[in-house]
Amino acid sequence: MPNHIRVEILRMLRNKRYVIFVVAFPVVLYVLFCNIVAGQASSGGGGAAAYLMVSMGAYGALSASIMSTAVPWAQERQAGWLRQLQITPLPGWSIILTKLVSTLLLALPSLALVFVVAMTTQGVSLAPGRWALLFLGMWIGILPFAALGLAVGSLVPPDTAQPAAMIGMFGLAILGGLWFPVDTMPATMQTIAHALPSFSYADIGWNLVSGQAPPLQDVVTTLVWAVVLGAAAVFAYRRATARA
Amino acid sequence: MNAIAFTDVSRSYGNVLAVDGLNLTVETGRTVALLGPNGAGKSTSINMLLGLIRPSGGRIELFGRPPEQAVARGEVGAMLQDGELIPELTVRELVDFVRGLYPEPLDLDAILQMADLTDLAGRRAGKLSGGQSQRVRFALAVAGAPRLLVLDEPTAAMDVESRQRFWAAMRDYAAGGRTVLFATHYLEEADENSDRVIVVARGRVVADGTAAQIKAKAGGHAVRFTLDGQSAAGLDALPGVSAVEVTGGTATLRTADPDATVAALYRGTSLEIRDLRLAGADLEDAFLALTREP
Ligand SMILES: Nc1ncnc2c1ncn2[C@@H]1O[C@H](COP(=O)(O)OP(=O)(O)O)[C@@H](O)[C@H]1O
Ligand SMILES: [Mg+2]
Repeated sequence: MPNHIRVEILRMLRNKRYVIFVVAFPVVLYVLFCNIVAGQASSGGGGAAAYLMVSMGAYGALSASIMSTAVPWAQERQAGWLRQLQITPLPGWSIILTKLVSTLLLALPSLALVFVVAMTTQGVSLAPGRWALLFLGMWIGILPFAALGLAVGSLVPPDTAQPAAMIGMFGLAILGGLWFPVDTMPATMQTIAHALPSFSYADIGWNLVSGQAPPLQDVVTTLVWAVVLGAAAVFAYRRATARA
Repeated sequence: MNAIAFTDVSRSYGNVLAVDGLNLTVETGRTVALLGPNGAGKSTSINMLLGLIRPSGGRIELFGRPPEQAVARGEVGAMLQDGELIPELTVRELVDFVRGLYPEPLDLDAILQMADLTDLAGRRAGKLSGGQSQRVRFALAVAGAPRLLVLDEPTAAMDVESRQRFWAAMRDYAAGGRTVLFATHYLEEADENSDRVIVVARGRVVADGTAAQIKAKAGGHAVRFTLDGQSAAGLDALPGVSAVEVTGGTATLRTADPDATVAALYRGTSLEIRDLRLAGADLEDAFLALTREP
C-alpha cells in the first residue's frame, strides 16, 4: 500500500489542475481577501486575517479532497485502470483505503500553505498548541468531503462527475460560509448553513483561532456527516466493483 | 494439472447470450489461441476467467481454484482488450508499481527489456502512441511473473513490425513453462503463435485442435497464379485441392495442403506458372465453413 499511495500522490502532484486550483488558488484568494479587508480597516486586522485563514484553509482542504477524488476516480473506472488493478493480487479494500489516505495527504499542501502565509505575511499568531490543534482538526475534518468525492466518483461517469464535483465543492464552500460569513446570509440560508459539514468543519477552526473551544454541535455535525458519507462511499464503491 | 477449466459456462447480457455452454480445458504450459470473429464471446469468456464478471451458469477454475483466488495469489496476469494507463506516471513507475503487487515478480529491467520499453522507461504514459501503450500493458501483464498469462487481442493497435516483436516476446515468456491464452480474430496470428487453436463462434466452441487441423477443416489455403489462356483441366485433381476458380485469367485453387499442391503444380503439369501467390484461409470463409449448420 505505501507504494500505491506514493504513485497516487505523484500523479496528482504532476496534475496541473490540482496544483493550480487546489494548491495555489486558495492561498492566492487568502492574500487577496486579506488585502481587501485591510483596505476596509474597520473590520479589525489580526482577527480578520485569522478568520480568513480558517475560511481559505477550509476551502483549500475541501477542494483538495473533492478534486483529488471524484473526477480522477470516475476516470480510472471508465478508462479501465480499476479493472487493471482488479486483476492483480491487490485486494479491493486496499484500493479504496489508498484513495482515502492519499486524499488526506493531498489536502496537506494547500492547508499548510495558507497557514504559513497567514503566519509570515498576515501576522496571525497563536500558541503552538493551538496551531497544532487547529491543523489537526482542519486536516482530519475533511473526511466527510473525501468520502463525498469518492462516492461521486464511484457512482457516475467522469463527464457527470466533473460538474457534480464542481457543484458540490462550490455549493459546500459558499453555503457553508467559507467565502462570505454565514452571519451576513438571510435566515433560511443560515439554517441550511448550520446543517452543512462545510460550516461545522470551518466553525471548529473559527472557534479555535478566536481562543474558544470548538462547540460540541460542530463536532457532532461533522462526525455525523463523516459517518453518513463514509457509509455512502463504501456502498457506492461496493456497487462499482461488484462483479456483474 | 489444468491451468484453465471451463465447465458448461454461459453468460448472458439481458437477452443476448454472449457465451453459450462453453467447455474447455487448457493444460499447464500450453500456448492456446482463442480464435473467433467479433462478438464471438472471447472477451466475455476472458473477463469471466479473470473474475471480473460472473458467469450466468457453469464453473471456471484456474489451477483448480476459483478465479478470484488464483488472481489474489498472483497466479494470473492479463492484458484486457482495452484500458488506459495513468497518464501522469512514467512507464517505469507504472511497471514498478504493478510488479510490486505480486509476491514473486520479474526483475524491473528484465520486464522493460522483454516488452521493448527500455528506451521509453522515463516517458509519461500520456505521451505514448497506441502501440507503445499496448507494450506497457503487456509489461504490466507479465510483471508479476504469473503462471497464466491472458491476452485479449493484444496486437490491435500495433503495426506489422511491432506485432512480430510482440509475439516473439510472448513466446519468450511462454518458454519458461508458463501457460498463455490469447484471443484474436486473425487466423494467421493464431496459427503462428499457438500450439492449439480453439475456435469460438456465437459463444460456443466450434473447432479445437492444432492450427493445421483447423485450417484443413476450414477449407485451407488458396494458391493463386496467372493462367492466361492455358487450360484449367486437371487442376482439381491435384493433391489437396478442393475447388478451382478461374476469374480474369487468374486461377485460385483451394487446398488443405499447399505444399503438396504447389509441388504437383510444378512437377505434375506442363503449365507455365507465373505470379504464384499463397494465401491463408480467409477467416470469413473459415468461419462460414466451421459454423455452418449440419
Ligand atoms: N457489457 C455488455 N452489455 C451487453 N452486451 C454485451 C456486453 N459485452 C458484450 N456483449 C455482447 O456479447 C457478445 C459477445 O461479446 P464479446 O465477448 O465482447 O465478443 P468478442 O470479444 O469475441 O468480440 C456480443 O454480442 C456483444 O455485443
Ligand atoms: Mg473482444
